[in-house]
Amino acid sequence: MASAERFGKWRRSEGLRGWLMVSPTALYALAFLAVPLVAIVALSFVSQTGVVTYDYTPTWKNYIEAFVEPQYRALILRSVIISLAVTALTVLTAFPVAYFISFHVTPSRKSLWLFLITIPFWTSYLIRVFLWKVILGYNGVVNSALLWLGVIDEPLGWINYNANAVVLTLAHAYAPFAILPIFVALEKIDRSLLEAGQDLGETRFQTFLRVTLPLAVPGVVAAVLIVFIPTIGDYVTPRLIGGKDGTMIANLIQSQFLRQNNAPLGSALAVISMITVAAISLVFVFLNRKNMRGGQ
Amino acid sequence: MTPNPLIDLRAVQKYYGDYHALRGIDLTIHQGEFFSLLGPSGCGKTTLLRTIAGFEDVSSGVVMIDGKSMEGVPANHRPTNMVFQSYAIFPHLTVAQNVGFGLRKDPRSKADKDKAVVEALAMVGLAGYGDRAANALSGGQRQRVALARALILEPKVLLLDEPLSALDKKMREQMQHELRRLQRQVGITFILVTHDQEEALIMSDRIAVMFEGEIAQLADPQTLYRRPVSRRVAEFIGVMNFLPCEVTQGAGDAIEVNLPGLGHATLQPDQCPSGGVPGTGSVGVRPEAMSILFEGEAASGQIAQAEVVEVIYYGDMTYYEVRFDAVEAPVTISMKNIVGRPVLERGDKARVSWDARSLVLFC
Repeated sequence: MASAERFGKWRRSEGLRGWLMVSPTALYALAFLAVPLVAIVALSFVSQTGVVTYDYTPTWKNYIEAFVEPQYRALILRSVIISLAVTALTVLTAFPVAYFISFHVTPSRKSLWLFLITIPFWTSYLIRVFLWKVILGYNGVVNSALLWLGVIDEPLGWINYNANAVVLTLAHAYAPFAILPIFVALEKIDRSLLEAGQDLGETRFQTFLRVTLPLAVPGVVAAVLIVFIPTIGDYVTPRLIGGKDGTMIANLIQSQFLRQNNAPLGSALAVISMITVAAISLVFVFLNRKNMRGGQ
Repeated sequence: MTPNPLIDLRAVQKYYGDYHALRGIDLTIHQGEFFSLLGPSGCGKTTLLRTIAGFEDVSSGVVMIDGKSMEGVPANHRPTNMVFQSYAIFPHLTVAQNVGFGLRKDPRSKADKDKAVVEALAMVGLAGYGDRAANALSGGQRQRVALARALILEPKVLLLDEPLSALDKKMREQMQHELRRLQRQVGITFILVTHDQEEALIMSDRIAVMFEGEIAQLADPQTLYRRPVSRRVAEFIGVMNFLPCEVTQGAGDAIEVNLPGLGHATLQPDQCPSGGVPGTGSVGVRPEAMSILFEGEAASGQIAQAEVVEVIYYGDMTYYEVRFDAVEAPVTISMKNIVGRPVLERGDKARVSWDARSLVLFC
């Protein structure tokens, strides 16, 4: 009867109650995060033999193909470069906005400003991407205006259907995601620290460099991660606005799954891109840790 | 030693929109002085400190430091340093980096600067703390870092904005003595902003009491305590009893007052800051300036009869609330509990001895 007693005890224990409480979330995470992830990883080690038939012998074939084929390699590299460019552009433009709201907007107006920043989100992502097409196209707003002003003689080619257009569009789409964490980091800075900086003989600009900027690093790192991680796998923008040389890894994965009918290779590419993102993100996290260790 | 003026404020006014924060401040602070700005919150004492530091512009008037007008001189070019109320320790730097923050433009070699940092830390009792992360310090230690960081720059004036208000009682008392010692040691002019009258009395050479953007009284601690110029100052500094009185003769060197229930007193002009005008008024008297006479004790002044209505025993002291005949409000008297002196009980009759020299007349 010892085991029944132990079961009874366990039934009433805090441990069980704890498991019951987290179970909805845990089940959700399991079903929609863990299972698909395991499935993709598993799929990347098999080979496609027909439309819906697979050879289940484990193989590295897909990974080897992904690395050997120059086209795939180039695409992975390009995705990383585009994402880094988007991240850099987004964070560099978001910082002044966040700084302005945090330091120059009266406290009672701050929430209004943050609200205004979310206005682009009131419309669909797809529509915003199309709008950039209208703005940047051959007969788009920018080119028409510049032609009319006589600044250029023919439409600028480097702003549409290429990587530049993708970078610009994504930077715009992710701007609020970068502004918010930087804003929060700046808000947390005790304003007397800035006065102390000046009191100790530094100009406003030097105080910004020596006090504000280092203390904003956690926000900047958060912004970098929030922008970098999703953009590397962005599918819609490169598809609609990227043209031939703006294609990214997500477009290739989609094409492997649906058009080339090679789900295992698509899975392998997905895993590779995931690992790449994780590796680069960890570098940022590590840099942040180092910064936060009391300046040592 | 003749006092050497270091800071000169002339007719300083400050408006925040419609709010009149400083209403014409005239003030001279001397070289090497420990000066306190004392007042309740919102009296403008911090604003005044910040105009000296250069964080606030004056609306009108002149701020002179060491003979130079500070108009248009930003905080980073003034010979002042500040210890902030929140201490403003840079959380991303070590203790040593915090202390050495202001030495960037110092022409000395790095080794000399490091040595200066070590010495500054030793001076505030934090020797060996240099490599610690600044955000791992206790409140008292942060305070010391803030002090070292300011003093290492050898300012002409050190400004302290309520530096002890965040500390617990024991630590506060310890820092009060330490600040005073440090000020004597370095000889720098300290200007302290505080709302704690006891703190101001303990530490300062001179105190300016401020109410509503104006200086109500500027005096050394003893004068401030013994001869407050107004009822409001008297109430703010320590405890003071107010007794109704009749001024019978106001002019000249001797002001005659009649105190119902106590008797008659003749006051000197310095006991009547607002002059003596015949009519009704009130006199202030500190609790320790009156005493209850026990068996065998001789009166040092006049004697009045009273009844004990409340007894509060503090250990070293006993506070009595007594009621004189014909005086409605009870009067607080503090007595030292010396050996052999009994503690009275409520309802006991008491003979109270008082001295006309300890009275202050407010009209």
